[in-house]
Amino acid sequence: MSTVTWITARGLFGRSRFLMLLPLPLILIGLAVLCRSLGVDPGQWGPPVLVGLGLAVVLPVVALIEGTGVLGAEIDDGTVVHILTKPLPRWQIVLPKLAVAAGVTAVTVGVPIYVAGVLADSVRLGLALVVASAAGALAYSALFLALSLVTRRPVLLGLVYVLIWEGLLGRFVSGTRVLSIQQWVIALADRMAPTPLLGTSVSVPVAAVLTALVAVGFTVLAIDRLRSFSVAGETS
Amino acid sequence: MSDATGVIHDIGYQRYTGPRLGRRQVFGALYLHGVRTVFGLGRSAKAKIFPWLVVSVVTVVAAGVTAVRSQIGEVVMTYAQFADAMSWLVIFFAAVAAPELVSRDLRSGVLPLYFSRPLPRGDYALSKLLALVTALWLLLGGPQLVMFLGAAFTTNRGVRGVWDELLDLLPGLLYAGLWAVVFASIALLVASLTGKRAFAAGGIVAVFLMTTPVVGVLSILPSRTINELAFVASPPTLVGGVGNWALGDRLTQGRGGMPIGDFGPVYAAVAVLLVAACVSLLLLRYRKVAAR
Repeated sequence: MSTVTWITARGLFGRSRFLMLLPLPLILIGLAVLCRSLGVDPGQWGPPVLVGLGLAVVLPVVALIEGTGVLGAEIDDGTVVHILTKPLPRWQIVLPKLAVAAGVTAVTVGVPIYVAGVLADSVRLGLALVVASAAGALAYSALFLALSLVTRRPVLLGLVYVLIWEGLLGRFVSGTRVLSIQQWVIALADRMAPTPLLGTSVSVPVAAVLTALVAVGFTVLAIDRLRSFSVAGETS
Repeated sequence: MSDATGVIHDIGYQRYTGPRLGRRQVFGALYLHGVRTVFGLGRSAKAKIFPWLVVSVVTVVAAGVTAVRSQIGEVVMTYAQFADAMSWLVIFFAAVAAPELVSRDLRSGVLPLYFSRPLPRGDYALSKLLALVTALWLLLGGPQLVMFLGAAFTTNRGVRGVWDELLDLLPGLLYAGLWAVVFASIALLVASLTGKRAFAAGGIVAVFLMTTPVVGVLSILPSRTINELAFVASPPTLVGGVGNWALGDRLTQGRGGMPIGDFGPVYAAVAVLLVAACVSLLLLRYRKVAAR
């Protein structure tokens, strides 16, 4: 475990910042337990909880906060210079930070969605959701990490992607679903545990290839951007 | 040692003897500055990108709806349905605007400068809130006006048709105001908690997004009472419920409202309580804000 990993993890969890991550997963588990205990048909509560809340809200929002936080916060504070001036290859800065962001996101999302998946259907669905959302966490984190190096307003641009591209357009214009990480995650989970709860129009090979492509591509982009990174003041 | 040879020169500094503007002018200036900040007026082009992106998308949708109506004669959306359909964009706009209004001041530590003026602490928060309410209302009201103009100029029933359309528009504008008040008070409260704009934006969106699926789940529980009260759980649907109850048929124009049963007054009470709680927490926050 490198020093960069350690610093990044402490930056995310330092003091009581980890408490901010708790409410979203707790709501997810709470709703699943509530529905289960009241005996509602899983076919009815599965889609809104698993997809509507878990994969469409908790996963991207947590990934957005973590992915832009690991590097974006340091760029904002100007402390990124301290890391950049160390004799480290750039990939040794980007990869540990990406690992922390993706790992934290995967755990934060994986635990509640496993519980919800088990309550909805079976252990198999729970495990499928965990694996798929971990892949999604990696893709989202790479995307948002690269965003925080490409632009000075990574969170807003990330929100445009999550809210407008995936949320608004994905619902009305079915063509944009091919380029939506959320749909890839659904497709992957559905492939590993076929249930009527998850459904998407994206084919599984496309989803798997594109997820890997996004994860690798944006990581390479981030390393490349950090290579010629200029430290500037806050945007006006 | 020689004798003191220093001389104090009179270089012409003068005290200000003109009229001094009071609290109301400070409030007005801060409010106007707030509204300009939200839309990025008087700031760099980068600050204008996101607000005007949202404004243009909303306007384009309104223009599209108007065009369809004037060509085919079919009402695609009523004024209230337009506000509902734009809810995600309103959330995004609030997430852009609220951190600009309050988080920057917190981060750059200029609050002591503000509070050294004849400006009570509550006024600072209230002027920012009012600015955000105005901006959100303009965001929804402007496109509604576009829709109204389109409908008014293509009506084939003369002045009578224009008047009917105006009677449809006014509740729509009132409803947009309701949206603006509820969203602005929540968003500003969240944004005032952190000096980091990135965290503030993420927090605002998280608050609005994570409550939406709660409504979806509550409305399928096996209890009629819970189903009819479900829409309380999320700000957008709460606003919808209040509008449904208060403005009723004028809002939906017979296109099916929300199944809220007889709980209309409950929705109104919850909305009022929510806004009141957010505003008082905001004022409380600025009573003891850190001066750094």
